[in-house]
Amino acid sequence: MNQIVSTHGLSKRYGDTYRVKDVNLSVNEGDIYGFLGPNGAGKSTTLKMILGLTRPTDGKVTVFGKNFGANRRLILSQIGSLIESPSYYGHLTGFENMRVIQKLRDVPDKNVTEAFKIVRLENQKDKRVGQYSLGMKQRLGIAMAILSFPKLLILDEPTNGLDPAGIGEIRELIKSLPQRYEMTVLISSHLLSEIEQMATSVGIINDGMMMFQGSMTALKNKNRPTIMVKTQNNKLAQKLLLAKGFSPQQNEDALLFENLTDHQTAAVNRSLVEANIDVMRIEEHKKNLERIFLDITGKERSL
Amino acid sequence: MKAVRLELYKLRHKHLFFMVILILLVEIGWAFMATSMSISRNPDNAGWESLIAMLSAMNGLFLPILTAICVSRICDMEHKGNTWKLLLTVSVRRSSLYAAKYAVASIVMLVACLLQVIAITTFGIMNGFEQPVTLFLLARFIIGTALTTMIIIALQQWVSMAVKNQAFALSIGMIGGFIGMAADLLPTGVRRILVWSYYTGLSPITQSYTSEKMQFIVRDMSSLLPMMMVLIGAGIGIYLVGSIHVSRQEV
Repeated sequence: MNQIVSTHGLSKRYGDTYRVKDVNLSVNEGDIYGFLGPNGAGKSTTLKMILGLTRPTDGKVTVFGKNFGANRRLILSQIGSLIESPSYYGHLTGFENMRVIQKLRDVPDKNVTEAFKIVRLENQKDKRVGQYSLGMKQRLGIAMAILSFPKLLILDEPTNGLDPAGIGEIRELIKSLPQRYEMTVLISSHLLSEIEQMATSVGIINDGMMMFQGSMTALKNKNRPTIMVKTQNNKLAQKLLLAKGFSPQQNEDALLFENLTDHQTAAVNRSLVEANIDVMRIEEHKKNLERIFLDITGKERSL
Repeated sequence: MKAVRLELYKLRHKHLFFMVILILLVEIGWAFMATSMSISRNPDNAGWESLIAMLSAMNGLFLPILTAICVSRICDMEHKGNTWKLLLTVSVRRSSLYAAKYAVASIVMLVACLLQVIAITTFGIMNGFEQPVTLFLLARFIIGTALTTMIIIALQQWVSMAVKNQAFALSIGMIGGFIGMAADLLPTGVRRILVWSYYTGLSPITQSYTSEKMQFIVRDMSSLLPMMMVLIGAGIGIYLVGSIHVSRQEV
């Protein structure tokens, strides 16, 4: 598959601290790439560097197979983007705002009509944007981003400030873009559930470093169940089971097993009972994606 | 050209021209009232010279403030709606945006200068000035005023673009207005480096008191030319420094 975006060793330093360090991001054609990370992890900074809004301290950005620095205008003409908060001229109407972008992008009138239709703002387009609600501004931002129906769409937290119905609508819209308009979408979010429902590939960034990158399926495969066994004497039980070829891990007041089949579970139980160690509990624990995400990004801090 | 047209488009609903005309009307009204009074006291003053001198002095107060407001309104919209990022991602070059904004501000202020000249002519004719309309003096008046204004625009635009808080730019405009008004009282050396003083400094007419009587003297054009050249150089310098500085700022 064609690589649409790839970065190599991308870094950004402010003062002494790296906001983004050695990020190798790669987005393939037709992907919906979910760029996940807690607040302040460096998502926006990375996206800004891909768009040339911020100069990287180190590293290289390649878009559509071309070096960004040397082909800036050409590349930007094929990218639509919405970075952080939506940008708009508050004193102009929604339609006039679109006109400004239309003139800069040099696209026909029908694109404006269609973009308004896609984000469902047709009825509000003659209202001043200053009077729009946050959700409407966000939609206008998305409409501006897709106005030229670019090959690559970069959306930085596009569902911020939208109500649940709006979030669902935008999600469906984003999911439909690759097929309908052959777009590749790079979308960032701090909400795992958001990304989970639409992305085909995922990159997880934390403290400026890429912690995981791969397909959504690969991420979900990390989701293996574990068996927890709680006994009267965990230490003794662990010794015994190690001797029998199992690999239990001590975890607080229980033993943890990975990759255990039903038969093996029964065997563990039998061994313990025969050795006169009381088994108090056997539980299956499934890690959900949330858990995986927290494990990858470290501490359980606010997302 | 496209960028300038787009800037004009973006000024919709801003009522910029309306506001400029309103402030000009106040200024012109004030200047003409003062001139009418002086004519009624001393009919000898009924001449183009006194009228132009009066308006030049008034411009020193009004135009720096008007320029600051006008430039601030043109630049502020990029800060208010976070549109820098948007424009840069549709590959607008910051230097060309800066140039377009400068051009639009200049157009607005040149229109203001032209309106002043039209008002002066109308007033003179209505008051039955004996001399014919002195196109030469009026041309020099408009060149001096426009030149000074264009340098102030360069300065104000730099401040308005670089500092988000427009109160800062407007304060500079007001300080400029104060300096412009009091310019003739300042020592020559100080006056030379303060751009706001050139509304009276480049005026074709100067006033002087001899034997307790005010006289209007027409300045020699050749004495002003080198000063104008230096001013144009300074204006280009301020513009370039501002444009480069703003282009390098992080968004």
